[in-house]
Amino acid sequence: MSDIEIGSQASLSGTGIKGRGELWRKEDWWAIWIGLGIVVLGCALFAEGASLKWIAVTPPKWSSWGQLWAHFADSYPRYVAQFAAWLAVFSLALGALGHKPRAFIPAFAFLYALSVIAISIGQWDQANRYNLEPPLLALVIGLALSNLIGLPRRLDAGFRVEFYVKTGIVLLGATLPFTLIVWAGPVAILQASVVSLVTFAAIYWASLRLGLDRRLAATLGAGGAVCGVSAAIAIAGAVGAKKEHAPIAIATVIVWAIVMVFVLPLVSRSLQLPAGVAGAWIGTSEFADAAGFAAAESYGSLAGHVAGIAGTGDQTVFAFTLMKVVGRDVWIGIWAFVLAVVATTRWERGELGRSANPAEIWRRFPKFIIGFLVASVIITAVSSGYTLAEYNKQVTPALVAPIKDLRSWAFLFCFFSIGLTTRFRELARAGGKPFLAFSGGVVVNVVLGFVLSAVVFASYWETLAR
Amino acid sequence: MSAASIRASCRTCVHFRNDPAYLEAVFAGLAGLGSAYGSVRDEDGLCLRHDIYLGARSLCADFTRRDASEPR
Repeated sequence: MSDIEIGSQASLSGTGIKGRGELWRKEDWWAIWIGLGIVVLGCALFAEGASLKWIAVTPPKWSSWGQLWAHFADSYPRYVAQFAAWLAVFSLALGALGHKPRAFIPAFAFLYALSVIAISIGQWDQANRYNLEPPLLALVIGLALSNLIGLPRRLDAGFRVEFYVKTGIVLLGATLPFTLIVWAGPVAILQASVVSLVTFAAIYWASLRLGLDRRLAATLGAGGAVCGVSAAIAIAGAVGAKKEHAPIAIATVIVWAIVMVFVLPLVSRSLQLPAGVAGAWIGTSEFADAAGFAAAESYGSLAGHVAGIAGTGDQTVFAFTLMKVVGRDVWIGIWAFVLAVVATTRWERGELGRSANPAEIWRRFPKFIIGFLVASVIITAVSSGYTLAEYNKQVTPALVAPIKDLRSWAFLFCFFSIGLTTRFRELARAGGKPFLAFSGGVVVNVVLGFVLSAVVFASYWETLAR
Repeated sequence: MSAASIRASCRTCVHFRNDPAYLEAVFAGLAGLGSAYGSVRDEDGLCLRHDIYLGARSLCADFTRRDASEPR
């Protein structure tokens, strides 16, 4: 191969996505349109003295089947309306992305039914006693269905993990005060940067010591250091990885991400870490956004309900989000550009004639983060004229709480989808060496992440959003 | 823009595949905790001639323009 050029002629396209076309052809933007659409609608209704509360229905706490049955008998039209609304917006978005709505509709109906069951179990007043937190419950049920029973492949059309989690993150922005992002963001970026650089270096070094290709080493390293599968696929493209490198990195990341979903909340619980500290640790040491939210929401649901775990569920989710989304995800474009520079100038030694382009930083930027920030700004602006007492009495129940409930639904769709799409026997055989190299990085990451979250910045995360 | 005026790059090469559905089918697990439809992938795809995964703006001596009817 000769004369390869990278990163130029961004506007020239054959069948590619260019300019404003990306606004309709990338799921990040659709997550923004849906998430911000809900936020703006919620604000408009709030201004008129109304609320999204009716359609953002969730089961109340219950202690007997009779109570739960009575709720559904009374509220089923609200669930039907909510299902129809989700179905409409997701069908529109996925249709624009090239999916077939005919395949999506039955799959989403199945997903919604599972979610109703899981969210109902989570509202049982004995759920915490039996570790029946909806995120982990959804994950376990999904994994069991896909790996023990098996589902038709066509149903995958409705199990869009990343799309649901991005939509949920945009909605999450509406529940996170922008002032908190400004205040806590720099510390999150500092901690995340330290851990990311060290983790990448550890995996990359171990990979080279084990004789792996530098492009695979970089792909594995980014998967562990930045944002999991998304980082692996971005860096594989940036460094021109071999065809087999990306699946190896993806399989390795998925295995460790699934392990960490269960391990991090379990260890946090055994150590009785404060809610915010655990959220920061999970944000530092979980490898994928979707899996991390499952772990963070799971641990957050224990806060205030299990003896010894101080803080609130919001603290866990906020700390996780600041660490993972603001601290790690936003840098993927820079990682890709830097590694593209290294690949083209050092590894290939010029024989391929490639060159990197800084435009790659923006092109690979996870755009849904823009929606997350804008949602936060909107709600912060809307609520700025209220005192704390007024905010708690008026804004929270009529505006913020319904958006938070819709966020919970979006995340639940995501958690089920993780399990339903993770088929361990279909993952690429990672091979011993890549798995070993990545595992070394996991050890470094988990230990360093714990020290920074629970020791160095402990007081900071413990008091987050109080 | 006519076919002739479109600059040669992997994006328009017969050997290049970057359809998101195709990539999710080829890369097992990508649709699980990731996605081929996200911004971070940009327009990257697989070169079936050289078996490498790379950016759509790349170009090599083996470039062969793809007809509109051929898959991407």
